[in-house]
Amino acid sequence: MTANAVSAQLDVDATPVHRANLVRRQGKAGIGLRAQHHAEIIARLPPIGWFEAHSENYLAAGGTHRRQLLQIREHYEISLHGVGLSLGSTDPMNRAHLNRLCRLAAVVEPIFVSEHLSWGSVGGTYLNDLLPLPYTDEALRHLRRRVCEVQDALGRQILIENISSYLRYRCNEVPEWEFLTALAHESGCGLLLDVNNLYVNAINHGFDPYSYLHGIPRRAVQEIHLAGHTVTRIEGCEIRIDTHSTHVADDVWRLYGDALNRFGPVPTLIEWDADIPNLAVLEAEATRATRMLEAIRAVAA
Amino acid sequence: MLSLRDLQQRFAAGLSESAAEPLTEWIRADGIPPSARLAIYRNNLHAGFIKTLGLEFPVIHRLVGEDYFRQLSLAFLGCHPSRSGDIHHVGGAFPSFLSERFVGTEYFYLADVARLEWACQECLVAEDSEPLDPQTLRGIPADAYGGLRFTLRPACRLVHSVFPVMRIWEVNQPDAASDRIVDLRSGPDYLIAMRNSRVELCRVSAGDFELLSGFSEGDSLGRALEAALATDPQFDLAAALRRCIGLGVFAQVTPQ
Repeated sequence: MTANAVSAQLDVDATPVHRANLVRRQGKAGIGLRAQHHAEIIARLPPIGWFEAHSENYLAAGGTHRRQLLQIREHYEISLHGVGLSLGSTDPMNRAHLNRLCRLAAVVEPIFVSEHLSWGSVGGTYLNDLLPLPYTDEALRHLRRRVCEVQDALGRQILIENISSYLRYRCNEVPEWEFLTALAHESGCGLLLDVNNLYVNAINHGFDPYSYLHGIPRRAVQEIHLAGHTVTRIEGCEIRIDTHSTHVADDVWRLYGDALNRFGPVPTLIEWDADIPNLAVLEAEATRATRMLEAIRAVAA
Repeated sequence: MLSLRDLQQRFAAGLSESAAEPLTEWIRADGIPPSARLAIYRNNLHAGFIKTLGLEFPVIHRLVGEDYFRQLSLAFLGCHPSRSGDIHHVGGAFPSFLSERFVGTEYFYLADVARLEWACQECLVAEDSEPLDPQTLRGIPADAYGGLRFTLRPACRLVHSVFPVMRIWEVNQPDAASDRIVDLRSGPDYLIAMRNSRVELCRVSAGDFELLSGFSEGDSLGRALEAALATDPQFDLAAALRRCIGLGVFAQVTPQ
């Protein structure tokens, strides 16, 4: 694909929803954007469906990375994926962080803006991690308010992603899929289904991932993430850790196939955040996802 | 029933104090003890923090070695936990932490090296700007010079140390030979850190540094010149301005 062919697909005047639909119809998987690949992407314009940027890596006022992101944006659709808003925290909303995100979104005009079903700060101290929430009525009411606050500030819908977790609270009142479904229904947010996180949690916590898939409304899922995880042993017990450091596992590809059967050809993104390989390795993972998206479209047609 | 606020406070406390674990009774065991489950998060927090700090202070990391850097990072985390959802902000207080820790010891220079590294980090992400066009100065009448205010570019920082921090920084870059000896008594250093396509360091005279420090604090040319002359009675203003403009230090100049 030539640079012009890629550029021609971009219609900057179209709404994010319209452009997201174009990405969906085009059916090419995307890749999580990492700084070490910036220069190669700009030089080579590889045939990738779109790129997803971690919002926090581009919130700065200037610098090389931000400039490169905007260069890449000239040729590709971009989604913004936040890891630092601490959406589920009981602290007041970090308005400074939210304002910076709004300014970045205004410049990038992303197809999706997403955050996590998690919290990461309390009493002003940030643990800089995606920590699990209890699935209680109180947490649901809190999350609904917070999601609405972010959507109002951005002037658009956001997507909320299921995280991988290594513990469950005794006070959980409903399974995660019920919590997410209620949150989407009550706040109007969409869902970003991370199939690897779902798989890791299903194995670690011993629940049926298919019940999860079938517990979520078909139209709620607007984006899918795929990533690699590792297996380790703690106190003699096997546990899967969501490291984003390797290839997508075969079992996760199978579960992805099931997710596509349920949700249709949802825009899909490959994430890889540690021991980051050459862009070609990520392209190959994206191509595998693209083939599965094509197969599901063929069935639907 | 535990409130969401209480749960989050207990979780955070459980991560900071490995002995007291106020949350464990609220976590399901499911084959792995709750304390071991919390330990996964504590390890994640520590690993992420050490890695981020190492990326922000690669020279300190190289100077003290992996094991001691981990120790320093965790001690720093204990008294300066992150206050931002943007992990790129975690290292801001690291230089002053090192300064307090090593005051009066032979390692005191580490604090100044860290200050230089943080200045470089700030340059990396500062707002982009064009250097001042020298032609701008042409139309300004000579009697207006005293009131001029020069603004430094956002991606420009001034760093002064009694130690030879530029040399220490240079010989501890990834591509530098590691066996270079730096004489700690070969300072002081007056430096400009500035990003164009990448961050570069430039050594300037004490007088130039004093002038630029004045500008960075909003002083007029007249006032900044007085400070420069107090430092260096031979200070040549015209030559200093030519040097600084040539380096591309200034963003703009405004009358009064």
